[in-house]
Amino acid sequence: MSQTMSQASGPDSDDLIYRHNPALQDEAVDANGELRPHWSYLLDSLKELGPALFDERQSKALRILRDDGATYNIYSDSSTPSHTWNMDLVPYVIGSEEWGRIEAGLLERAELFNLLLRDLYGNRELIRSGVIPPDALFCHRGFLRACNGIKLPGEHDLILHSVDLVRGADGQMMAMGDRAQSPSGAGYSLENRNVMSRVFPSLFRDSHVHRLAAFFQRLRTKLNSLSPNSAPRVAVMTPGAHNETYFEHAYLANYLGFHLVQSDDLVVRNGFLWMKSLDGLSRVDVLLRRVDDWFCDPVELRGDSRLGVANLLEVVRAGNVVVANPLGSGILENPVFLRYLPGIAKHFLGRELRLPSVETHWCGREDDRAYVLDHLHELVVKPVYRNLDNRSLYGPELSAEEARSLKARIEADPTQYVAQPVMEAAHVPSFVDGVLKPRPVILRSFAVATDTSYTVMPGGLTRIGQDERSFMISNQTGAKSKDTWVIASEPERMVHDEQVDEPVSREADLISLPSRVVENLFWMGRYAERAEAALRILRTAFMMLNGEERISDITQHQLLHAVSMITATPSRSTDEQTAEEALRGIIENGSVLRSISGNLNAMLYCAEETKELLSSDTYRVINDIRDALNMLGVSFSGSLASAPEEALDPLVTALMALSGLTQESMIRGFGWRFMDMGRRLERGYQIAIAIDSLIVPVLSESDQSKLCEALLLSLEALISYRRRYRARVGIQTSLDLVMMDPTNPRSLMYQVEQLRQHIGALPKTPTQMHELSADERRILECETLLKLSSLAELSKADGFQRSHLGEQMTKIADQLSGLSEMITDKYFDHREASQQLVNSTWESI
Amino acid sequence: MLYRIRHTTEYVYHSRVSHCYNMAHVTPRDTLRQQCLSTRVDVLPGAAFTSNRCDYFGNNAYHFEIQKPHKKLVITSTSEVRTNLQKAAPELELGISCRDAREAMSSSRAPEVLLAREFLLDSPMLKASQTLKEYADSLFDDNTPLLTAVMNLTSKIYQEFEYSPASTTIATPLQEVLESRRGVCQDFAHLQIAILRSLGFAARYVSGYLETLPPPGQEKMVGADATHAWLAVYAPGEGWFEYDPTNNCMAHEQHIVTAWGRDFYDVTPLCGVIYGGGSNPVLRVAVDVTRLT
Repeated sequence: MSQTMSQASGPDSDDLIYRHNPALQDEAVDANGELRPHWSYLLDSLKELGPALFDERQSKALRILRDDGATYNIYSDSSTPSHTWNMDLVPYVIGSEEWGRIEAGLLERAELFNLLLRDLYGNRELIRSGVIPPDALFCHRGFLRACNGIKLPGEHDLILHSVDLVRGADGQMMAMGDRAQSPSGAGYSLENRNVMSRVFPSLFRDSHVHRLAAFFQRLRTKLNSLSPNSAPRVAVMTPGAHNETYFEHAYLANYLGFHLVQSDDLVVRNGFLWMKSLDGLSRVDVLLRRVDDWFCDPVELRGDSRLGVANLLEVVRAGNVVVANPLGSGILENPVFLRYLPGIAKHFLGRELRLPSVETHWCGREDDRAYVLDHLHELVVKPVYRNLDNRSLYGPELSAEEARSLKARIEADPTQYVAQPVMEAAHVPSFVDGVLKPRPVILRSFAVATDTSYTVMPGGLTRIGQDERSFMISNQTGAKSKDTWVIASEPERMVHDEQVDEPVSREADLISLPSRVVENLFWMGRYAERAEAALRILRTAFMMLNGEERISDITQHQLLHAVSMITATPSRSTDEQTAEEALRGIIENGSVLRSISGNLNAMLYCAEETKELLSSDTYRVINDIRDALNMLGVSFSGSLASAPEEALDPLVTALMALSGLTQESMIRGFGWRFMDMGRRLERGYQIAIAIDSLIVPVLSESDQSKLCEALLLSLEALISYRRRYRARVGIQTSLDLVMMDPTNPRSLMYQVEQLRQHIGALPKTPTQMHELSADERRILECETLLKLSSLAELSKADGFQRSHLGEQMTKIADQLSGLSEMITDKYFDHREASQQLVNSTWESI
Repeated sequence: MLYRIRHTTEYVYHSRVSHCYNMAHVTPRDTLRQQCLSTRVDVLPGAAFTSNRCDYFGNNAYHFEIQKPHKKLVITSTSEVRTNLQKAAPELELGISCRDAREAMSSSRAPEVLLAREFLLDSPMLKASQTLKEYADSLFDDNTPLLTAVMNLTSKIYQEFEYSPASTTIATPLQEVLESRRGVCQDFAHLQIAILRSLGFAARYVSGYLETLPPPGQEKMVGADATHAWLAVYAPGEGWFEYDPTNNCMAHEQHIVTAWGRDFYDVTPLCGVIYGGGSNPVLRVAVDVTRLT
C-alpha cells in the first residue's frame, strides 16, 4: 500500500498524499521512491483521513494550544508580543533502531561536554596540553571567570544538555551545535506531545510512541537530589513574562511542581537564597535557571542586569544553593569547540565521538580564516557568541556589498567567527496548503543528568523550515515545530518503576507564593472588577436611554455623570448636547472604551504574570476576554445605532465566567484570598461611587425612581428588588438592597464583611500586643460606619442633595482606597531601586 | 621589608542606603616576592554577612552584605606584608630577545606560555591597536632583549606623559590618554599593557601600594600614601616582571601587591549593588603604609 505521488497512481482527490521531491533527501521516502517502513503506518492513516479532516484536527490543535496559553514571543515583533506556538501536526517519525544509535551518540556527547565544562572551570588541562588553543577560550565572552571552580554535588555539573541535530548528505545524523546555557524546548516538546495525543488519540496509541514522562520525572528527581536539604525547595527562574519562551517556563514549573520565580521574587540574605513570600522569606535550595548566566548576579557578572539576584554567586560558591545549569555553562555553546572536538574526545575518552559534528572552521586560525574568506558563498558564518543583534549569516545569499562588509568584520576580529558548510537538511512530510509537502528538518535533543549517567528524551523538539529550501530554522525566524515520534519496536515498560522516593513538599509551601504573584492576583481582581463595573454602568445607560419609557433630561445627565464617574472619563456634555449625544460622544471618541480596555489589558498582564497558577479552563476564559476585547471597538462602533449594549455582553459574560471559575476552582489559599480581596475592595468602591452619583441628588419622584432602577440594574439587583417589593422603586428600599443587605453578594455590606474576614485570615507577625493592626482597624471602622447607618437619615433630603448619604459614600470610598494602600504597603514588596556602586559598562570578554 | 598597610575607603551617600552587597579587592595577596602575614577587614556599619575567597586570578576577594540603613560606608583593611625584591632579573642583556619572545608567544606549546596568552588578548577595558603598536615599535627590535625593551618603554612613557592627578577618571579611554599625554598611574599602566599586547606580548595589570618616603628631616604624614598601579610583563621561559611607568622603574620592595588581572576591571577595589543612596556619592580613600622593619 505504500505509495507516493512520484508513482503515477492517480490518487483520489480526497486522499491526503505526500508529494515528496525526488531531488531532496527525504526522511520518509528512500532513494528508490519507496516509503520507509516506520513511516508507512502514519502516512497511510493520514492518507485515509484526507485533507478536510486533517484541517479540522489542525484547528482543534490550534485551539488547544491557545487554551493552554502556548506562546512564543518573537523579539523583533513588539506590536504583537505573543504568538500562538506554531505547530505542524505531522510528526517526525524515527525508527527505534536508528534512535538507539542517536541516543548512544547523545549520551556520549553529554558525558564529554560535562567533562569539558569541569575542565574549563577547573584545571584547564585542555589549554595546558594544547588540545584547545587558549584564544578559543579566553576570547569568548561566555567564559565567566567569576564562575571558576564552581562544582555541583554528584557526578555531573552539566545537568541539561541539548544538541541541534541535522541529517547530513551521507545520511548520518550530525550535531550542528550544543545548548548548555538553559536549553529551551523541552517544555514545548511536551506540549506538542500533549496536543498530538489529544488530537490523534488512536493514531498515537497504535503507533507505539516512546513516552516523554520518564525524562521529566528524572529531571525532577535530579533537581531535587541537588539540594543540600532533605526537603528541597526548587524554583524555576525566569526573566519574566516578556521572555520569548515564558510559556515554557510557566509550563515546566507547573508540570514539575516547582515555583516560578523572577528576579524580584528572590533575595540573598546571610549567605542563603530566599524567596519573598507573604509570610516572610522562604529558603530556595535549587534553581532551574532560564536566565542567561551573564545576567544572574549584578555584583560579579553583568552589573546593570535586572534579571539576576545580587550576591547569588557567593551563595552558589558556599554550596547553599545549586543552580542548574551551573553559572558559566554558557561557554559550552562556543562553536569553536566543535573545531577541536575530536581532540577533546580523544583527550577524555580516548576515541572520537560516535556522533559527528558539522565541519566547523574557526577564523581565529590563519588557515581556517583563509579558507572561510575564499569560500564565503558556500558557508554559514556564525558569531562565536550568540546574541540578538549578532545572527548567523548565510553565505549564498550575501550581496557583494554584504560579503565585503562581513569579510572586513571577520578580518578585524577573527577569533569571534566560525563558519560551517551550508547543510542540506533532510526533509519530512509537512502539512502545507492542504497537501503534504517536504520541508527541511532539524531536531533538538535533550539530555538530563541522572545519578550515574544521562537520560535522553526519546525524540525532542522538531522544527521545520518555512520553505522547501529554507536554511534558517529557528523559532525566532518563525519556523514551525512538530512532535517527534520514536517508534517503539517492542511494548514499552511502564514508567512507574521510576517512582523514587521523592521528598514531599513542605506544608509551608502551600502559603509561600512569591509576593509578586500575590500582588498580581490582587490587582487582577481589582482590574477585572473595575472593568466589569464600567461595562455594567455603560450597558445600563444604553438600556435606559433606548428604553420604551422616555426619560427626562435631568435623569439622562445624571446617568451620564455616573458613567463618567465609574469609567473615570471626563464627560463634556455642553448645553447644546443632549445627554445621549454626550454619551455617544465619549464612546465615539474612544475615551470610555480606552478606559475599559486599559483596565482589561492591565488585568491580562496580571494574568500573564500569574500564569502558573491559573488552570487551563481559566486560561481559556482569559483568551475569550482577550478576543472580546480585540473585537470591542469594531463591534461597538458597528452597533451604535441599534442595541449597542449587546456589543458589551460577550465581555461581561467572559468576566463573569472568570470570577465564577476563580470562586469554584481556586484553592482557598492566600492567592485566592488576595484576588478576592482585590475584587471586594474594587466592587465596594464602585458601589459607593454609583450610589453617590445616582441617588444623592434630590429629583422628582419619577426621575428618582428611574435612577434607583438604574442603580439596581447596574448592580444586578433589579430582579430581586421587584420580587421583594413589587412596587415602584424607592430610595430607602433600594439602599437597603445595595448597601445594607448582607445576603446580596453585590451589596456594600457583603463586600465589607468579606474583606474583614480576609484581613483576619492573613498572616501576621507574631506579637505580644493585643491592639489591632492598621488594616484591621480600618476595615472595622468601615464596617461599623455601615452597620450604624440609618436608612431614614441617609435618604433625608437636604436642599438639592442628600448630603448625609453623599458624605457617607465618600467616606467609605476613601476608607476602601486607603485600605488598598495599606495592604499594598504591608504585604507586597516595594524594593528601592538598586544601582551599581561603581558604574561599569564594560562588556566582559 | 615588613609593612603594615591600612587602606580605608569611605562612601558618603546623598540619601539613605537600605541594603547593599559589595565585593572588595583590598587585601594584599601572596606573590613570589611577597607574603601577606595577617589581615583584617572592618566594615561600618557592621556587615550582616561576610565571606572571603580566592578569585580566578588568585586575588583575595572580600564580600559583605549590610542590612542596616546607612548614609556612610567605611571599609578598612589592615594587613601586614613582607616584601622582597623581584627575583633577580636575568642580566638584562642576556635575556630572551624580542624576536624569540614574540615567536614563543605565538607558537610555543609550553603550558605557562599558553596560559599567559590570556594576558595578551583584548580585555574588558583594553583593546590592542595599530596606533599603540606604532608608538613603541622601534624599541622592540628583534635582537633587543625583551626586558630591556620593556624598561625602555617604561621610561618613554614616564618621559612623554605628565602625571596629572585630576586629569582622568578610571574610565578614560586609552586613545584620550594617548592624545592628551597626561594621566595617573592607572592610565600609564593601562597604556603600557595595551602597547605590549599590541606588540604581541602578554602583560597584566597590578594594583597595590607604594611606600612613599617623606622629604629628609620631616615626619611622614598619615594618609599620605595612595593606592598605586603598575604592570607585569611575561617573558617566555623567564616569568613575570613588574614595571612601574609612573616612577620609571621596575617594581621593588616598596611596591606592595594587592591584586592582579587583565586590567582594572578584574581588580576593582570596591564594587557592588546598593539600594537607595541617591546619585554621585562622595568617595574618599586613605592609605597608610608603615614600615615596621
